[in-house]
Amino acid sequence: MLEYVFILPLLSFAAAGLILAFGKWLPWKGASLGIAVASWGFVQAAMLFFKALQGGLTLPYEVSIPWFNAGFLSATLGVYVDGLTIAMLLVVTTVSLLMQIYSLGYMHGDPRFKRYYAYVALFTASMLGVTISNNMMVFFMCWELVGVCSYLLIGFWFEKASAASAGKKAFITTKLGDLGFLAGLLFLFTLTGTFQISAIMEQAHAGLLLPGAAAIACILLFFGAVGKSAQFPLFIWLPDAMEGPSPVSALIHAATMVAAGVYMVARLYPVYALSTVAMDTVAWTGAITAISAAAMALVCFDLKRVLAFSTISQLGYMMLSLGVGGLTAGMFHLTTHAYFKALLFLAAGSVIHAMHTNDMREMGGLKAKMPVTWITFLLGTLALAGIPPFSGFFSKDEILAAALARNPWLYFIGAATAAMTAFYMARAFVMTFHGEPRDAHKFDHAHESPLVMTGPLMFLAFLSLVSGWALARHELFEKLVSFEGVLPFGLAEVSKLKVEVSSALLAAVSMLFGAWLYKSRPDIPAAFRKKFSFFADMLDARYGLDAFFLAFVALGDRLARLLVKLDFDFLDQIAIDGWAWLGLKLSQLQGRFDNAVVDGAVDETGAIAMAGGRLARLAQTGLVQNYLLVVAIALSLFAAITFLI
Amino acid sequence: MTLEHYLALSAILFAIGLFGVLTRRNIIGILMSVELMLNAANINFAAFNRFLHFDAAVGNTSVIFIITLAAAEVVVGLALVMAIYKNLHTVYVEKYNILKG
Repeated sequence: MLEYVFILPLLSFAAAGLILAFGKWLPWKGASLGIAVASWGFVQAAMLFFKALQGGLTLPYEVSIPWFNAGFLSATLGVYVDGLTIAMLLVVTTVSLLMQIYSLGYMHGDPRFKRYYAYVALFTASMLGVTISNNMMVFFMCWELVGVCSYLLIGFWFEKASAASAGKKAFITTKLGDLGFLAGLLFLFTLTGTFQISAIMEQAHAGLLLPGAAAIACILLFFGAVGKSAQFPLFIWLPDAMEGPSPVSALIHAATMVAAGVYMVARLYPVYALSTVAMDTVAWTGAITAISAAAMALVCFDLKRVLAFSTISQLGYMMLSLGVGGLTAGMFHLTTHAYFKALLFLAAGSVIHAMHTNDMREMGGLKAKMPVTWITFLLGTLALAGIPPFSGFFSKDEILAAALARNPWLYFIGAATAAMTAFYMARAFVMTFHGEPRDAHKFDHAHESPLVMTGPLMFLAFLSLVSGWALARHELFEKLVSFEGVLPFGLAEVSKLKVEVSSALLAAVSMLFGAWLYKSRPDIPAAFRKKFSFFADMLDARYGLDAFFLAFVALGDRLARLLVKLDFDFLDQIAIDGWAWLGLKLSQLQGRFDNAVVDGAVDETGAIAMAGGRLARLAQTGLVQNYLLVVAIALSLFAAITFLI
Repeated sequence: MTLEHYLALSAILFAIGLFGVLTRRNIIGILMSVELMLNAANINFAAFNRFLHFDAAVGNTSVIFIITLAAAEVVVGLALVMAIYKNLHTVYVEKYNILKG
């Protein structure tokens, strides 16, 4: 069964090509093929998952075929499967399948329906490639392909200018992080001499890597994760990515692609675990991201953006968990989060599909109109807020416990984030589904979504309800994903029960408070917002990071203009034209020399010959008598000399 | 009469001939001077034959040969002079320069 894992991404790749080429003639414009492939992948992944949980698989499994040889580097294409891979595989295939079924309803009648499914299939293929690749090079290629698909799908409705620019923003921002990723990858290669993940891990386990060097590589690699997983300060692209279709947000910008950064850190965990610096960088970046994103969600009125900020915050949570040594907790949270956040996004999509607006200020009272969406959204909210026994509670508490064991400050940030999460989710839920309808016209047109959309919602709600409890029981998930190595720092003893009870209480109180506030006294938050408008504006402006990066880009633009000016007015003038001028002048000088000296020498030689000729011609009078005279004189002289001697 | 008298006469005659050849402008005069020089040589030949090798005839033979040659030379020379004169209407040698480039 493991032998066939490599087929999963290839099949998806093939599906993408086939849908694009022949989608017109396939049932449902190619969606059938995408869904069939995704279903098969889901079945495979689920079977692997349950077998692995029962201990029926020998892990890790690795196989590779030679790809190319370049000098001392023999690159391979291959598959590396361990518990981490299987957990991620299940997440990707599940959400991909459900999202594709959901999209049948959501994208119904879209003019580029076929292309949508091709992109999604391509994305799924790339994401599976990231998941199972045993080679950092292939990993990076798929990582970039995932980014391309993200760009294509965010800008899917490119007629809207905001969607087109959001796609560009996402692509460029993540590329900024990928620069660091590439640098880290190459640096890691110089350290280990291989791209093969298992070999890198072995070297890390065997202590062949210097912690300092490993820390540099890890931090560079982490830049990639900061971009891809929308960590502080590169998270600015994710809220804008909500311009894409809601199912895309659920698949790419909640469950899988943004989790790729977390997955990457988890994949190279033995390397990260070598140095405290790298771990602390991950942990603190995660913590800062978690709390700053949660704060932004408090004031946001766009339903999908609230969820986007929440996603950023939860990704920060996962990073925090990895950074404090909680590999299991982080990946557990990744799994549960994927389900409940996909659920929330799809439910939000269902609302948006009905209301044709993202703005929560125009919603309200939808509970009566959309009961299925209401109940599933409620379950997702409870899971995200961390109310027992929903899945978020289990994973979040493990993270908080891990954070407390490492550093109380990290725990406080995490706990504050948890409280804020519960609050803003209650706010979003109440504003959307309860109270009086604020826009009567839109409310009248709202209706419950068809079964093809509510079906995946119910399935995901079911997963959100049980996945945490089922996997936390008997520490099942830990069997799948755990870190056997040694952490570079010591951990304090913590009472897990205390953390669980306190955080559950905190979440419940915070949630009830939020619900009460927005249901009964919506005037209080409004007044509060007016009073502290400075903070609200700062949060709305995303801490000015957008402006900062825009200024950064503008600076780059101005610098480029300056360079162009320099190039045209200075370098071209001096270096190019100057050279030409110099060449011209030199040529003129040389020409003058040529005319005067060389030609002069030639002319003079001729002139000398001419003068000689003129001189010699004097003797040639043509008068025979002259010649004779010479002969006579000469003879006389010879005669005289003969006589004298 | 000794050999020296003959030689002296021959030398004087030769010198007169040479002087004539070098100084005359008239082509006829030059030819006549050349005859003088030839005859000076003839006197030499005849004198050496008479005083040094009385029995031999080679000197005299040469004299006869040279007289014949001179006669032939005069024939050709005068014919040439006539031809040139017909073209140039002059006998002055410095005017004979039509081959000069």
